[in-house]
Amino acid sequence: MAKTLTADKAGTGFSIRRETLVKWAPLLVLIVLCAFFAVMEPRFLSTRNFARILIAASPALMVAIGVTFVIIMGSIDLSMEGTVSVCAVAFAFCFLWLGGTLASWAWLALPFAMLVGAVLGFVNGLIHVKLRIPSFMASLAMGFVGTGLAMVMTGGDRIRIEDALFRSLLTERILGFPLMVYVAGVFLLVAWFIQTRTTLGRNFYAVGGGEDLAIASGLNVNRVRVLGFTVAGVFFAVGALLAVGRIGIAETATGNNFMFLSITAVVVGGTALWGGVGGVWNTLVGVLIVFVIGNGMVVIGLPGYVQDGVLGILVILAVILSTDRKSISFVK
Amino acid sequence: MSTFIKDFIEKEKINRRNFLFTSACGLGGAAAMGVLGPGMARAALTDPTIAWSYRNRTNPYWNEIVSGGEAFVESLGMPKDALTHLINEGSSEKSLADVKAILAKTGGNLALAIDTNDAPNARPVVGAVAEAGAYVSTLWNKTDDLHPWDFGDNYVSHMSWSDEGPAEQTARVLLEAMGGKGGVVHLGGIASNNPAIERLNGLKNALKDYPDVELLAAEPADWDTQKANQVMSAFLTRYGDEIAGVHCANDTIAYGVLEALRAEGIEGMPIVSYDGNPQAVQLVAERKILATVFTNPHWGGGITAALAYHAAIGTFKPSEEPNEHREFYGPTIMVQPDDALEFKANYLDSVPTYDWTDFWGPSNGPIVYK
Repeated sequence: MAKTLTADKAGTGFSIRRETLVKWAPLLVLIVLCAFFAVMEPRFLSTRNFARILIAASPALMVAIGVTFVIIMGSIDLSMEGTVSVCAVAFAFCFLWLGGTLASWAWLALPFAMLVGAVLGFVNGLIHVKLRIPSFMASLAMGFVGTGLAMVMTGGDRIRIEDALFRSLLTERILGFPLMVYVAGVFLLVAWFIQTRTTLGRNFYAVGGGEDLAIASGLNVNRVRVLGFTVAGVFFAVGALLAVGRIGIAETATGNNFMFLSITAVVVGGTALWGGVGGVWNTLVGVLIVFVIGNGMVVIGLPGYVQDGVLGILVILAVILSTDRKSISFVK
Repeated sequence: MSTFIKDFIEKEKINRRNFLFTSACGLGGAAAMGVLGPGMARAALTDPTIAWSYRNRTNPYWNEIVSGGEAFVESLGMPKDALTHLINEGSSEKSLADVKAILAKTGGNLALAIDTNDAPNARPVVGAVAEAGAYVSTLWNKTDDLHPWDFGDNYVSHMSWSDEGPAEQTARVLLEAMGGKGGVVHLGGIASNNPAIERLNGLKNALKDYPDVELLAAEPADWDTQKANQVMSAFLTRYGDEIAGVHCANDTIAYGVLEALRAEGIEGMPIVSYDGNPQAVQLVAERKILATVFTNPHWGGGITAALAYHAAIGTFKPSEEPNEHREFYGPTIMVQPDDALEFKANYLDSVPTYDWTDFWGPSNGPIVYK
């Protein structure tokens, strides 16, 4: 309300301020949250606790980055749970079959899992584009196919990955943070590179910002879409690898909860669901918000079921804050 | 998923049909008459269809239950495809609709084992089965006022598990290992789930005898390894060294806890869990988990089908059995480090061949209502 009042008085000056606000609102929320939890429980601010938050957040960050690209295109990808499960299980089988330690040829299981993710994403994109099925439905269905496939592959069993070298993702620390956090950081930079320094990355924005314009400019939108889903699949696979690295188990349930987590994180981070706005840094902030809440709630001793409620409210707040709803002609 | 499941059900139906054809050819008219003829108002059935109605097979627990049902069917000399699967996918409406459909199809010539998905759904299911003259045994869900003996012979039995006692036993193992002092945290199942509530109550009961142990916190971890991992990490931030023991509501939660501790380089923390999954039993043998409880879902699934079947063909008459043979608790076995390997060899590495006519031997006494 206060903002509207200022807008009336300040006129054009407000538009700049609003943009700035929209841009920085998610980060502001994150800082406020951290400050709040720190006041309630000083131990929240320790390095060890931040390491714990980042360990938990790393796999979800990869998945959320994957879906960010798709959402920037104005589509949505809900196949992450199935894709993560299949990639985790495929990695585990391949890894054990090739020797079961990173010191052997089994390291090939890492690129193999990413290939599996790429293939799943590619198929997902093809189904969406060629069969002209809304991405929402196509990817959701593909997700179910993935979960089923992982189930068939494992027969419901869990596969343990005990290789000390692979598990050093979790157990080895540099400056207090485990290796997996740095791996996630590297892939975050890769995603940022794709977003800002490649034609593909710019095309995502072109498709999401105005598909008609993109087509009129001679852009092969279908190709961009399929590639977008493929890139998303690769990031889902990286998320799967980090998830396996974190708990040492690959199973059908490895993908559980990633859909809710990643979509929430992307939206809370300020990437608009109708495309063209946002990016990987927004997603990083969004993921951190989600996991800071998850960690902070337990650390200050609030019951778990409050967490989901708080996250739901945050999603609504984030959308209100981060988008100029007057510019949207209709809400579907 | 739905198409996947639909295909699966369709396949199962076809298998069932193939079986019917083969049995009709092989056994001649008698079998065919038994299947196709009107099944109403008979004292005992001949060659009834055996069906298991449950949630789905992607859950390891239900997979075990149904594998028990299949083992029972095989013990009758039939292929395991002879067991008809009614998959409700967590829907009570579908559960009831499936039962009515198969009753119509078989004309009541049916021996049904079922978990009705929720307690209120048990009454309409049992009512429909009794009306059609078929036989049913239920597992897990029924309301307290619904009893097999109110339906004559057709509602054969109900089996459930009470987790409070066994969870209290594992809690005592944990509290002893902690030396009877310090802080304990509990990571629970989905907050509203009955087993989750009972397992936490078990811990609370045990704590009454250990005044020097403080229950620092109890948080739901939703039966989920990754959620448990995060909750345990946050517990470590909040309580740090105060945590001297961890009580987990099931094995999958314990896996997440172990990994959260591994990330911090903490070893030798006393942990107990529940369910007796193979990997958990292995971890018990390695003393990384101090105790888990095995509820033998394989036997539970097999014996529930066996009870319905043998009542249906007249091997025993349910109404002549005492009440504790019609409502009883399933078996629980506590697994501790010293007997873990032996237990694993006997129950997990090779599934024992059960005598499916020993209906009540391994069971655990009559159900007590509070």
